[in-house]
Amino acid sequence: MAVKELKVLICDDSMLIRKQMKESLEKLGVLKVFEAGDGDKAVSKYAETNPDVVFMDIVMPGKTGVDALKDIKSIDPAAKVVIVSSAGTKGNLKEAITAGAFDFVQKPIEEDVLLKMLEKAIKKA
Amino acid sequence: MYMQFFGNYLLNQGLVSAAALMDALDKQAEVTVSFEALAVNDALVDAAQAEAARAEAEKSGKFIGDVMVEKGFLTQEQVGALLHAPPPGHLLLGQALVEGGHMSAEQFEAALSSYKNQNSIPDADFHNVKDGVIKLLIGKFCEIIESSEASKYITSYLTLLFKNLIRFVGDDFAPLEIKYLRGMVCTRCVAQKINGKFSAVSVIDAEGDALVGFASRFSKETIKAPDEYALACLSEFLNLHNGLYAVNFSNEEGDELELEPQTAYEEYDLEYMENIYIVPVCFTFGTINFIISF
Repeated sequence: MAVKELKVLICDDSMLIRKQMKESLEKLGVLKVFEAGDGDKAVSKYAETNPDVVFMDIVMPGKTGVDALKDIKSIDPAAKVVIVSSAGTKGNLKEAITAGAFDFVQKPIEEDVLLKMLEKAIKKA
Repeated sequence: MYMQFFGNYLLNQGLVSAAALMDALDKQAEVTVSFEALAVNDALVDAAQAEAARAEAEKSGKFIGDVMVEKGFLTQEQVGALLHAPPPGHLLLGQALVEGGHMSAEQFEAALSSYKNQNSIPDADFHNVKDGVIKLLIGKFCEIIESSEASKYITSYLTLLFKNLIRFVGDDFAPLEIKYLRGMVCTRCVAQKINGKFSAVSVIDAEGDALVGFASRFSKETIKAPDEYALACLSEFLNLHNGLYAVNFSNEEGDELELEPQTAYEEYDLEYMENIYIVPVCFTFGTINFIISF
């Protein structure tokens, strides 16, 4: 599998982050980018689109990113969910990894980090 | 961060107007600082030696750095170091104020000397940004905050805020004096609650051109109106700053802070809060109010 074949879901309540990540992913040449603005929508969007990689914020209204991650893992234990947060504390990192996060990235996220995550997901596919 | 606090000092002493300071901050990228000003700033030569070297350089047509070496004021290595180091922000600001006709060179030098004396900042430290000196400046800036456990956290919160403003928005700003209030209503703002050992409500209040300017800088996009997208940019800056603060807090205090989702408001009531500190920050595109309450 190559980057250009990947379907990616971005879940963040910030429209700025969604827009900028989408632009970066499209620039990297991914096949399709889906968006969700909160944890509940992320879970339903995952079930609907079955993306190869998910980039998930933690702090969101309603269901948190970690709770959404748990729900997604219950639907698909092989799901690759990268947690992207401004609060990269030891506690959040531990909670995310325990819940089955594929990786944890501190905001602000740069394009080269996105690419690194996509390549890592391809290797583990 | 000296430049920002020196700008604050100039404003508070009534030495420049807010408009003049903003004009200078806007133009500082275009000015150049003379070699002798850099040498004086680093306390390598005094004003009389600088003046003598300048006169000799103009007479002989030699580079002033070479003249200073010939006169034994500087070594060749010191000349090289001065030429390669970026000019300190406060000197660029001073040059822009002088070139803009807002202050004379003598007034600027007197103000800088007085500022250094008041803040006990040695000349050598003024050139190099050192955490200890920044803490001293922030501490003086935060003197209004009563001594308490919270004051320690607010001081570190504001220290990181100024660093993040420089990192993500730009260094062309000056913080105005902190104001203390009991209860207030904010209009057109974004807010985020912080829960844990340090529980607080953080708010950024901005409207019109200030909101558009801040959002454009942070997003690195051209934003034309103070609309929902501009507020989303403001909101994400707040979330990013609070997240980075939570990381520092976790590392330094060993305690986790929980952040609630950030929200945009047309009217936000802080009437129930007893301690509200407002830090107005004057950028070249307008003033943004950073509010922390607990």
